[in-house]
Amino acid sequence: MRSDGTGGPVVGASRRLWLAAAALVLAAAAALLFGRYPKPGFMDLRVLADDPVALRVLLLIRAPRVLAALLLGATLGAAGCAFQLIFANPLVDAGFLGVSQGASLGAALALVAGSGGAALFGAAFAGALAALGLSVFLAGRLRFGGSVLRLVLAGIAVSAFFSAAVALVKYGADPRNELPDISYWMMGGLSRSSWEQLGLAAGPALVALAALVAARWRITLLSLDEATAASLGARPGLERALALGLAAAGVAAVTAMAGTVSWIGIIVPHAARLILRSEGAATIPGSALLGAAFAVVADAIARGLFAGELPLGVVTALLGTAVFVALLASQRLRLGRA
Amino acid sequence: MLRLLDLSYNYKGEPRPALIGFTAEAAEGMVTALLGPNGAGKSTALGIAAGWRRPGSGRLERDGQAAFLPQMERLVFAFSCLEYVSFGRAPHLPYLGTPGGRDREIAADALRKVGMIDKRDKPITALSGGELQLVRLARALAQEAAWTVLDEPSDMLDPGHVAQVSSVLRGIAESGGGVLLSTHDLGFALAVADRAVLVKGGRSVASGPCSELVTPEAMGELYGQRFGWAKLPWPTH
Repeated sequence: MRSDGTGGPVVGASRRLWLAAAALVLAAAAALLFGRYPKPGFMDLRVLADDPVALRVLLLIRAPRVLAALLLGATLGAAGCAFQLIFANPLVDAGFLGVSQGASLGAALALVAGSGGAALFGAAFAGALAALGLSVFLAGRLRFGGSVLRLVLAGIAVSAFFSAAVALVKYGADPRNELPDISYWMMGGLSRSSWEQLGLAAGPALVALAALVAARWRITLLSLDEATAASLGARPGLERALALGLAAAGVAAVTAMAGTVSWIGIIVPHAARLILRSEGAATIPGSALLGAAFAVVADAIARGLFAGELPLGVVTALLGTAVFVALLASQRLRLGRA
Repeated sequence: MLRLLDLSYNYKGEPRPALIGFTAEAAEGMVTALLGPNGAGKSTALGIAAGWRRPGSGRLERDGQAAFLPQMERLVFAFSCLEYVSFGRAPHLPYLGTPGGRDREIAADALRKVGMIDKRDKPITALSGGELQLVRLARALAQEAAWTVLDEPSDMLDPGHVAQVSSVLRGIAESGGGVLLSTHDLGFALAVADRAVLVKGGRSVASGPCSELVTPEAMGELYGQRFGWAKLPWPTH
């Protein structure tokens, strides 16, 4: 069998990528029609002809929301895969450098200050970038270990610091309205989705996504150890920092839009490796496609299955842990030689 | 030529320098082996020769690029052997390039040269230690560098795989490439190396033809241990 040098058997990996793309288009179309208007379940397209409200629901509520779910899932999936490759550790995700906690702090402060919309997005995005910057800065100040270990340690410290700061803000928040707002935001969800919200997040997230896909082989090369990567002409310290910064900035943007949506970044790359039957460079675009499909389906469940909306972060965590345990139990999840 | 000239190197936090006034050279078309006790500075010197470490003082002169095989390599992801060997093509590709058909052919040729072509689609994490070392060698071959620098390439391998590694390294030298390696395996050194450099306490203490330098007396002095001659079985071709 031939191999394409980017992802196992050539026919296998690239054909499976196209199949994943086709499945994603179908899932997105189904999600667009799924919901609770005019009645729970899939919308009959004939309704659009004589119900103007149905068209508005479709174009102004569901379309931005489905696109937001696609963007969220694709970014979290690709970024999670890049993080796992760069850290050479299949158990990390893009929340690893304090990005989620930083976004939470920004959002919490904005909510306490009574802001919403663009201000809330801006505060969460700034918080996420601040946490990322602090992690990278701190890693540069540590005086031992390789670049990867230093980033891991700095990320742990920064995450803990921002978690404590969020707890402090929550402690001081008004328990009647501010505290529940912060708690709901942190559970993650796309119920605030609008074309405006999507427009804010789309720029940085799409730039990050495109760059990660373009640099997929290079990022895969960075999973080799430092001396080996360097002997192949890479500058591992600099290139890893760049790729991580890019991935984390994308995650910061979608987290600012949707709150903390966990598990996509961890579980999707594993599923992509299994489905593509490859652990090479094709897993980055594969994780983007699969992450998008997962988020769209999870969001459809979150908003359409019950009369009241479930937080998306709760749905992804429930589905994610179930898939994770099932993969572990079936011994199909390989966690390297660790 | 590859020249290491008056090198010194200090690891952070280590009171003793790893290299002090270390000088050695290696020529194309030959295998040169660094011999010496643990902690003598062999790996540090190889890291500098490969361009991975920057010396504190002194300088490296090297004609052409070097492919480097560090002693330890932690592999987490199950790349196929061909995919892994294709990483050797990185210096020949544009920054965001991916290996193309020609690169895959070169990678497959490299696997053929080390006798691992039938494992091309096998996950690299499922190989034995000896097979992995051969595939790593194929990665170095695919890099098509003027120099191949290897830290303890025969470490932990069974005699059959040691012989295969030797024959690949001899092949590189005979086709005009330069090979610089370190080893603790004196039998391997005698079988593979044209020249040897004896390393002790961060300095190179002697250099010359391997068969003349590896004597019981010289080894006794180098390792601080009495040596005699023993005849061991060695694989023949």
